[in-house]
Amino acid sequence: MKLTRLLMLSAMLATASSFAAFAQGTPAPKDAVLYFIWPLDGATLKGPFWCRFGLRNMGVTHAGDTFPNSGHHHLLIDVNEPLDTNEPIPQDKSHLHFGAGQTETRLELPPGKHTLQLVLGDAKHFPFNPPLVSKKITITVK
Amino acid sequence: MRGEIRQIHPRRGGGSPGDPTPRRLAAIMAADIVGYSRLMNTDEEGTHARLKRILRELVEPTISEHHGRMVKTTGDGFIAIFDSPVEAVRCGIVIQQSMVGRNAALPAQQALLYRIGVNLGDVIMDANDVFGDGVNVAVRLEGIANPGQVYISGGVYEQIKHKLVCGYQSLGDRQVKNITDPVRVYRVLPDPAAFMRAQKRREIAFVVLACIALLAVAAGLWYTMLPGRNLIGAQPSAPAAPASPKPSETAAAIAPTMQPTAPPQAEAPASPDAATPSPATRQPASPPPASPSVKEPEMAKLAGGNFAMGSTDDPSEKPIHQVTIKPFAMSKFPVTVREWNECAAANACEFTALGDENAPVTNVSWSDTKQYLAWLAQVTHKPYRLPSEAEWEYAARGGTQTKYWWGDQLQPGMANCKNCVAVASTAAESPAKVGSFKPNSFGLYDMGGGVDQWVEDCWHRNYQGAPTDGAPWMDGDCVSHVIRSGSWKNDASYVRPSNRDHYDTGVRYPTHGFRIALSP
Repeated sequence: MKLTRLLMLSAMLATASSFAAFAQGTPAPKDAVLYFIWPLDGATLKGPFWCRFGLRNMGVTHAGDTFPNSGHHHLLIDVNEPLDTNEPIPQDKSHLHFGAGQTETRLELPPGKHTLQLVLGDAKHFPFNPPLVSKKITITVK
Repeated sequence: MRGEIRQIHPRRGGGSPGDPTPRRLAAIMAADIVGYSRLMNTDEEGTHARLKRILRELVEPTISEHHGRMVKTTGDGFIAIFDSPVEAVRCGIVIQQSMVGRNAALPAQQALLYRIGVNLGDVIMDANDVFGDGVNVAVRLEGIANPGQVYISGGVYEQIKHKLVCGYQSLGDRQVKNITDPVRVYRVLPDPAAFMRAQKRREIAFVVLACIALLAVAAGLWYTMLPGRNLIGAQPSAPAAPASPKPSETAAAIAPTMQPTAPPQAEAPASPDAATPSPATRQPASPPPASPSVKEPEMAKLAGGNFAMGSTDDPSEKPIHQVTIKPFAMSKFPVTVREWNECAAANACEFTALGDENAPVTNVSWSDTKQYLAWLAQVTHKPYRLPSEAEWEYAARGGTQTKYWWGDQLQPGMANCKNCVAVASTAAESPAKVGSFKPNSFGLYDMGGGVDQWVEDCWHRNYQGAPTDGAPWMDGDCVSHVIRSGSWKNDASYVRPSNRDHYDTGVRYPTHGFRIALSP
């Protein structure tokens, strides 16, 4: 409960301090954290699974909305190329976009090892400055 | 009532020892399954098992993720409380959206749908239950909610209206059972596009009626006038007749004819008749005046027929199935920046496109394309639409069953994609101008590569249960729509005519464009 209140309070404080938010180099709060709620790093999963995205000290919004300190999720599956911060986050079968503000998705991956990583995008799908990315986790699908 | 008695005589031993006062303010969520008795009647064990699974895998984790607490489950529903109304509504949306995904894989009679109501109120807490008017109102809200939707009270609305990015539709004050004061009710529209639709529904109905009337009159007029004219030229020129006193305006609008192949320009052979407009022409003057000088996208007529849709290259393209396509017309090129901006200039499209006039328009959402199509249909009096996914693939294949429309091997200079072109252009901010590459055997350009192209269909993750009559596949999870063609930023595998992907309906992305279709 205490943790919940603390989180809510810090989220409120974060949204209160405003920045101008535009296409590139949109600033992200220094204490923002992007992480996987589920699955855990190293997990072994059977069949399709829910993947849930966590974001602390920032808000999730619809792509196209320029509210300060908010963005939308992108899930990178088995992506090895480094992130280009001067380009919109690519859109293809290994870069899934959640521009409607979704915070979870059902994933169906072929059996084997896979890496998952989250990248928060601004209104125009550019990474923030500094880029807000999650730890790249490795999972095994049975 | 039981709760109030307990409040007067709180039992030290019972309840939760951590809670000093059992009264508190909370956001209360009430939910139940629609038609539970009917479902139990047809498949008792199956329904029970599925409901348990949904509670365990979806509802409970989602509630705790939003810092809520499940108070109790009833046979077909549950009551949960939250510290924050924002979290409560967000949780409701997540549950409803996740249910859509789960139901997509099930036959309609097995689908489980929640109705959800959220209210903010002062409640009495108990170890395993919660009491008070606030709970009753939440339950009543849930009772009047449509299946699959979240209804909230005015109190919740006031708390969340500026904090949660979604639409709210006011349903006015409702009298609910056993509650003296009427309750203000709002429907949550998680997708802002849905909100726009709800708002514009009446407006659109009016415009559609007006269009039908216009179309009927225009057709009648056209019938009485010179026969044998090319259809593209003739139809827009018919309503042009009454407007001809302003020739300068018409000329100015026709002037920028920069497209690779210009369609016959609408001159004014009808103007002699204009002096005596028939009484019929005056009738449809009430809607916004049609600008007759719009240059229509160039269309190619396709004969239709049978083809094998799909491939075995990707799970989303299976199973391969036979589809029958009726004759229709497809635009030769994706819609260009210049064509789009005519709509923007008419204030009918909110989005203004940037870039080379003859480049395909990009950064448009599926919802944006609907604005363009509504405007184009209105000014041309032709029911322009997005192609269905099946029509798109039929057109892209150009009568072939090979991996690419030109054969099984990648060839340079055939498509605008990453690593497909001899001259690397992938770093480019925008795609090549339309028609820069060879057309397929149906005379269509850029069917593969260039820009991703929206089609009418809702996204389904494979072709299990797909229609075979070439119609768009609309049921199921419609929060995202299908995109075809791949873009100049994607590699060669995306250029395949059978390749398919999807994107959120109301969201713009810099590689997304579209082309248009027309039924004869």
